[in-house]
Amino acid sequence: MILTTFNFLFFAVITILIYFIIPKKLQWLFLLVSSFYFLFYKSFSILNLIYVMIILITSWGAGLIIDKFKNKKIVKYVLIISVLIILGELVFLKDSNLFITTINHLCNLMGINKQFDLVYRNAPIGISYYSLIMIGYIIDVYRGVCKPQKNILKCALFMSYFPILTSGPFIRYNDMEDKLFGKHKFNYDNFCYGLTRVCWGLFKILVISQRLAIFVNTVYADYYTYNGFYIIIAAMFFVLQLYTNFSGSIDVIMGVSKIMGIDLPENFTSPFYSRTITELWRNWHITLGAWLKDYIFYPLMKSDFIQNLGKFFKKIFGKKVSKKITLYLPMLIMWILIGIWHGGAYTFIISSGILQFIFIFLEDTLAPLAKKINKKLNINTETFGYKFYQCVRTYLLFSFSMIFFRANTVGEAIGIIKNMFAWNPWILLDHTSLYTLGLDMLDFKVLMISLVVLFVVGRMQMKFDVIKKVFEQNIVFRWIVLYLLIFSIIIFGMYGPGYDAATFIYRQF
Amino acid sequence: MKREEIFERLNNVFRDVFDDESITVSEKTTSADIEDWDSLEHINLIVAVEQEFGIKFNMGEVTTMKNVGEMVNIIESRVK
Repeated sequence: MILTTFNFLFFAVITILIYFIIPKKLQWLFLLVSSFYFLFYKSFSILNLIYVMIILITSWGAGLIIDKFKNKKIVKYVLIISVLIILGELVFLKDSNLFITTINHLCNLMGINKQFDLVYRNAPIGISYYSLIMIGYIIDVYRGVCKPQKNILKCALFMSYFPILTSGPFIRYNDMEDKLFGKHKFNYDNFCYGLTRVCWGLFKILVISQRLAIFVNTVYADYYTYNGFYIIIAAMFFVLQLYTNFSGSIDVIMGVSKIMGIDLPENFTSPFYSRTITELWRNWHITLGAWLKDYIFYPLMKSDFIQNLGKFFKKIFGKKVSKKITLYLPMLIMWILIGIWHGGAYTFIISSGILQFIFIFLEDTLAPLAKKINKKLNINTETFGYKFYQCVRTYLLFSFSMIFFRANTVGEAIGIIKNMFAWNPWILLDHTSLYTLGLDMLDFKVLMISLVVLFVVGRMQMKFDVIKKVFEQNIVFRWIVLYLLIFSIIIFGMYGPGYDAATFIYRQF
Repeated sequence: MKREEIFERLNNVFRDVFDDESITVSEKTTSADIEDWDSLEHINLIVAVEQEFGIKFNMGEVTTMKNVGEMVNIIESRVK
């Protein structure tokens, strides 16, 4: 169910209404029913039901066994096997083509005349999210961070809570237990906050993201015709499209959940004010980063293998270098995994994995040199101008890496980058060229004003919760803000053919 | 081992790991108070603390401890 459709709106309103009408002790059970409806609404098949059940029963069972046989050796095996089952299913459903293309490439390289066909499996929605969520749950029980849930139906709700099925965020059992299974009364403040957040999310998606999508799609579909500055603008637009689409979805999700009194963890702050790529990733898809940190990066860094490697290199190269090695090796593994999680294709591994790692590695390694140069040239790095330069640099680097994310194949991405170097800056000034790609002058004006609003709100968001602040003002101001949002969505939202074509980028994961 | 003694030894570990002689940790110190204490440095700190006190933190503790006070609680319970 796409979040901007009437279907979702209808579903959310009915769910919220029934949620508050029925007896409080049945609330969680009702949420489970509506979540399963959401899960299978369009993609019901016996096979999909089996996929979902495998993850549910594995994680629920593993939790109970691990808790029962605490401190015994068997627990470790249960942990490993259950994680492998869930991971295996995820890789089977999502990454089969990654293996097939790799084998095909290898066959080509070795001159073997055999090619395997790609497979297209219809995976249940949200599987990339709840697979990792449930792995986190099992590990948390193993680590003693949380108690296992004995009731399989409650476990099922934690896994399938419908707001998180389309684009996250990643939730933790400890965080959610009381919220999901608690009794919630209707709260007017939550309702107003949630409603405004939903509208803000829809504004981001329908007014900004869908508009950007039209421009981006046109350029990427024909990058030989639209080369040079068209590609540069499209690459810069795509990152904004991705951000407004993804963070807008999260706003809608969190708003709906908030109305029901269930707070979800924030997934974005204001990434475009980041001065480095490292900082950007602290503000982008935050819950994924936190998940990887707790369940992959930390255990890897603390593992005997990495620690012994550190000791070995310390003897040869000294403390500083060995520290870097024990940091960057687990980090490289983590970034490759982030790339794989984003999709079973090399484009994702390069864009959201390896390139990000290279940027972070260079930032860290070159930082002392940059410091020296700045000192020698007497450059004050805390001025507005320097910070602005750093933010723009980060944005451009990120935009460049996301060319691979948007392109269909690595070859296509390289073709796009080659065509980017055509020299045609006049298209920025001739008042006609840019308006031939599906967005007219009015669209551009709406876009620019909306982006200014987005950036101003983003800046304020860094200091305080903007929506909360709006609701501390008097009633006239509050409703003016809400009506402005609603009317701009209705008037400037993209509902044309471009709208149908643009799908939710993060839904495929 | 007394709590004060743990704090004293912990202070040296912090100063060594973060290369900053001006650090003095207290019960309420968190990663937000020390500039270089980010997620990348956290494990280096944890391993250094483990070596100093000859103990092992489990991963649950590593990911959930909220401030230095909680870290000291764990150390205190292990070295008794």
